[in-house]
Amino acid sequence: MPAAYPLPSDLSPVTVANTASLLRIIALALISGAAIASRLFAVINFESIIHEFDPWFNYRATKVLASQGFYEFWNWFDPTACGVIYNLLHALNLPVDIRNICVLLAPGFSALTAWATYMFTKEMKDESAGLLAAAFIGIVPGYISRSVAGSYDNEAIAIFLLMFTFFAWIKALKQGSAFWGTIAAVFYFYMVAAWGGYAFITNMIPLHALVLMLMGRFTGRLYVAYSSWYAIGTLSSMQVPFVGFQPVRTSEHMAALGVFGLLQIVAFGQLVRAHVSSKQFQELLLAAVISLGLIGFFGIVGLTYKGWIAPWTGRFYSLWDTGYAKKYIPIIASVSEHQPTAWPSFFMDLHFLIFLFPAGVVMCFRTLRDEHIFVIIYAVVASYFAGVMVRLMLTLTPVVCVSAAVALSSLMDTYLDPTEPSVEDDKSETSTTHSTGTASASRPATPATSKKTKKNKEKEKEAAASAGGVLSELVSNVTSSAAAAKSATTTERGVFGMDTRLVVLLNSLGLLLFFVVHCTWVTSNAYSSPSVVLSSTSSDGGKNLIDDFREAYHWLRQNTAEDAVVMSWWDYGYQIAGMADRPTLVDNNTWNNTHIATVGKAMSSPEDIAYPILRKHDVSYVLIIFGGLIGYSGDDINKFLWMVRIAQGVWPDEIQEPNYFNRGEYRVDSEASPAMRDSLMYKMSYYRFAELFGGQQPMDRVRGQHVPIQGPTLDYLEEAYTSENWIVRIYEVKKDDVLGRDLKIANAFNQGKKRKRTKPMSRRKAIGA
Amino acid sequence: MLWPLLALSLFPLSLAAQKSVHEQLVDLAAAGNGLIQLNDQTYDLLASPKRDWSAAVHFTALHPQRRCAPCKEFEPAFTAVAKAWANAPKEQRDKHFFATLDFDDGPAVFQKLGMSSAPGVHVYPPTDGPNASAKKAPFKYDFQNGFEAGPLAEQLSVHTPIPIPYKAPFNWARAGSIVSLIPIITLIFRFIKPALQNRWVWAAGTIATSLVMTSGYMFTRIRGAPYTGPNGGWIAQGYQNQYGQEVQVIAVVYGILAGSFLMLTVVTPRQLSPTRQRTQVYLWTAVNFLVFSILVSLFRVKNPGYPFKLIL
Repeated sequence: MPAAYPLPSDLSPVTVANTASLLRIIALALISGAAIASRLFAVINFESIIHEFDPWFNYRATKVLASQGFYEFWNWFDPTACGVIYNLLHALNLPVDIRNICVLLAPGFSALTAWATYMFTKEMKDESAGLLAAAFIGIVPGYISRSVAGSYDNEAIAIFLLMFTFFAWIKALKQGSAFWGTIAAVFYFYMVAAWGGYAFITNMIPLHALVLMLMGRFTGRLYVAYSSWYAIGTLSSMQVPFVGFQPVRTSEHMAALGVFGLLQIVAFGQLVRAHVSSKQFQELLLAAVISLGLIGFFGIVGLTYKGWIAPWTGRFYSLWDTGYAKKYIPIIASVSEHQPTAWPSFFMDLHFLIFLFPAGVVMCFRTLRDEHIFVIIYAVVASYFAGVMVRLMLTLTPVVCVSAAVALSSLMDTYLDPTEPSVEDDKSETSTTHSTGTASASRPATPATSKKTKKNKEKEKEAAASAGGVLSELVSNVTSSAAAAKSATTTERGVFGMDTRLVVLLNSLGLLLFFVVHCTWVTSNAYSSPSVVLSSTSSDGGKNLIDDFREAYHWLRQNTAEDAVVMSWWDYGYQIAGMADRPTLVDNNTWNNTHIATVGKAMSSPEDIAYPILRKHDVSYVLIIFGGLIGYSGDDINKFLWMVRIAQGVWPDEIQEPNYFNRGEYRVDSEASPAMRDSLMYKMSYYRFAELFGGQQPMDRVRGQHVPIQGPTLDYLEEAYTSENWIVRIYEVKKDDVLGRDLKIANAFNQGKKRKRTKPMSRRKAIGA
Repeated sequence: MLWPLLALSLFPLSLAAQKSVHEQLVDLAAAGNGLIQLNDQTYDLLASPKRDWSAAVHFTALHPQRRCAPCKEFEPAFTAVAKAWANAPKEQRDKHFFATLDFDDGPAVFQKLGMSSAPGVHVYPPTDGPNASAKKAPFKYDFQNGFEAGPLAEQLSVHTPIPIPYKAPFNWARAGSIVSLIPIITLIFRFIKPALQNRWVWAAGTIATSLVMTSGYMFTRIRGAPYTGPNGGWIAQGYQNQYGQEVQVIAVVYGILAGSFLMLTVVTPRQLSPTRQRTQVYLWTAVNFLVFSILVSLFRVKNPGYPFKLIL
C-alpha cells in the first residue's frame, strides 16, 4: 500500500501513546485557557461588575448563602456553586471578595464545559473529534453570550451540567452501568436545582430510550442505565423545594415516567418470553397490552379530571403552540429572550458550525450506534427549540459543536491519512505515475488499513508493534474508529496525491481561522458590553462609554432616604436593589402577575389615576429608562406595550391596548393617541425633552419621530434626577399638598393660572321621565 | 302622560304597551332564540338611558349589497355566543341581552353613533338598579383576536352578570375526517414500511428539519413574516428580521455547504481513478469556498457592521 508522505518509523509504540496523551492534555489545557480568556473582555474593558439584569438576583442569593449558611438558603431558593467556592476559599484563608467569585464563575465553568464536551464527543467518535468539539464550544459565541465574566447566570453552569449528564448517560448506556447511571442522576439533580431548563434533560433521555425501544434495540444495558438514572434522579430532584411532587404530576415530567413504566413492561415481557412457549406468549402479550393500555389511559384521564395531575403548564404550551403565550401569558412573551430567532442570529452565534452540523448528523447516521441516535434526536429537537426562542440557542450550541466536530474530524482523518489506495489496473494507469510520485520515499510497510476495529484495539497495537510500522499506531490514533471500521469493509479507498490533501486541509484550516476571528470579534463587540455600561464608537474611532445606569443608581444611593421605595419596570428591580440599595416594587424574580400589572397600570394610566396607586404602594420615586436622546433602543417606551398588555390582562376595562395606537400605528409624535399622550410613561419620558432642542422640533432617535415642541406637563410628580445622556430619569412622587388642595389645582395656582370654573352639567330632559 | 303615547307610537301592538320595557325585551329575546333583531325603535328601547340591564349590541351589514365580508365572517360567532347565553339560568339571563342591528334596519342609529364601519360590538353597561356601573360609555370590542367565538365570549363575559356559558362546539367534521383517515394511513403504512425502516429516509428528514429550522423558519411562522418584501426585495432589512424567501435561500446554502463536506469526506475517497478524484476534490473545495463567501456577504447585508468578508 503506497503512502502519500513518509512517517517516522523508528518510534516505539509507548512513545507514540505517551506523546499522544501528552498532546491531548496540552490541547485541553490550552482550550480551557482560551475558553476562560475569551470571556474576560468585559472585565478588562470595564471592571469586575455583574452585568445583566437577571444575574443580580443570583448575586443576592449567593450573599445570603455565604452569610447565613446552606440550610437557611435551601429553604429559600436554589443552591449555587458560588457560595460553596467562597466558603472553601475562606477555609483556605484566601480572602477573595464574593463578587469576584461570582464574576469569574461563568468563565471557570466554561472550561469545565469544554472538558465535558470532549468526553461526550469521545464517546461519539474518538479523541481527535473530542478535542475539536472542546475547542468549538470553548469559543463559540452561542455559549459565550451566556457565560462572559460577570453574566453570573445559572445558564453558564447549566450547560456544563447538561453535557456532563448526557456524557454519563451515554457511558451508562454503553456499559449498562448503574454507577454511571447514578452519576447522571446526581448531575441531573444539580441541574434541577440550578436551572429551570432541566426539563430538557427530563425529556431528552426518555425520548432516546423510547426511540431505542422502537428500533428494537432494547437491551439489558438500556434497562439498567435508564432505571438507575430515573429512580435516583427523580427521587433526588423531588428534594428541591420548588420541584416537590411535580415529577409525578406535571406534563413536563410525564414522558420520563411513561418511558420508565414502558421499560419495565418490555423488560418483564422479555423475561416472560424466556420462560413460556411462544404461542402462550403471543396471547399473553395481547391481553397485557390491551389491559395495560386501557388502565393507563383511564388512569391519566381520571387523575387529570380530579386535578391531581396539573394541567399542561404555560411554558410548555408556549413552545408548541407559538401563539399561546402572546394571548394568555404576556408576562412570558414580553421577555426579549423568548422571541423567535431569525437566521442571522444562528450564523452570528454558530458561524461555520451551523452548516457543518448537518454533515455531522449524516456521519452519525452512517454508523448509527445507540449513542449516535442520541445526537440525532438532540439535533432535531434542539434546532426546533432554538428557532422558537432565542434563549434556547444555548441548548442547540453543544450538539452543533459535537456534530460539527464529528464532521470536521472525519474530513481531517480522510485527508491526513497518508495511505493511498492502489490504483485500478485499467484505464487510469498513466495518471498514476505523478500522483504516487511523492509517495515513493515511504516504505510500503504501513498496514494502517489492515483489518481492525475498535474492539480489538489491543490486538491491533500488538500487531502494529510487531509489524515494526509504529506510525500505524499514530495513524490509528488519528483516524477515527469509524473510518477504521469502514476500512475493514472497503479497503480500496483513500486519497491520491499531496496537492488534493493540501487544498482540502488549507480550506478547512482557513475556515477554522475565520471561525476564531469571528468568535473573537463577536465576543468582544456584541457580548461583552455589560448592559449597565454601554459603549459606542464615535466617527473618529474613539470609544465612548455611556455610564448612565451607574451614575443614576449612585445618585439614588446618595440622595434618597434609605427606605424610599422606587418603582420601575421589573427588569431593573435587582439592579436598583443591588446597586442603589433601595427597595423596589417589583423585580426580576416577581412572577406575580398582579404586582407587575399594578406597575404596568400606573405607567400606562393618566397622572390622576396613577397617583393614588403610587401613594397606596408608598412609592417615593419612579425610575424610567429613556433612550430617545441618544438612541438606546432598549428603553421603556419600547417596552411600554408590554406594560399595557400585562395591565390589560388584569384590568381589561380600564386599560386597552388599541387605545395606545393611532390607527394601528405606535406613535409618540403629535399623532400619538390620547391615551398614549396622557400616560404617565409618555409624560415622564418626554418631560422637558423639547427644551434640549432650543425651539427646534425635538427628535426621538429611537422611534425616529418628531415629538411636539409643546412637551407634556406633570402635576403629581416632579423631576428629581436625569442622567447625563438622559437614559435614566428619576421622578419624585409629590406628597400631599400642605393646604389639602388637589395637586393639579395647587400646581395651576403656583403657575399663576386662574382656576377654571367647571361648567355645571347641562341637564337634558330624559325621554318620558 | 307622554309615555304611553310614545310607547304606542313605537309599538303598534297595544299589548306591548302594557308591559314594561324590560319585559318586552325579554319577550323579544325569547322570540329570537336569545338574540334580538333590532331596528331604529327597538334600539332606543334597549339602549334607553335608564336601564337596569346590560346589552351587547352587534352592528353589522349583512345585505349582499353592502359587500361586507368580515360581517359575514363574524356573524356566526356572535350568534353562537348569544345562543350560549340563552342557556344561562333565567334570573341571570334576563339581566343581559344580545342584540344585532343591521345597517339596513337602522341607518339612523349608525349615523347617531357615528359608526362608519362594521362589524362592531358595543356593550352597554346598566345605568340603573343594583348593578349600575359607574362607567357610562359603552365598551367596544376590538377584534384583535380575530372573529372567533371563543375570545369574544371570554371578553364579553367580563361585562355579563355571570360568565357566558359558551363552549366551542365539537368539530364533528374534523373528528370524522380523522377517523376516516385511520384506515388510509394504515394502508399507506403498509406500502411505506420499507422506507420507514431505511435509515437514509430518516436521515433526509432529520437534515431537512434542522436545515429549515436553523434558517429561521419558526421566525417567519411566529411573526407571520411575508414571503417577500413590498417591492420585490427578498432580504429583509435588519438583523432581527427576515422574509420567507430567505428561509429557502439560506437552507439551500447551508445544504450545499454541508453537502460539499460530505462529498469530500465520503464520496471522493471512493473514487478509484486519480484524475477524476482530483477533479472532484478541487471542485467541491471551490464550491465550498465560493458558497461560503456568498453566505458571508449575505450576512453582511443583514448586519452591516460585520467587518469580515471573503472574496465576495
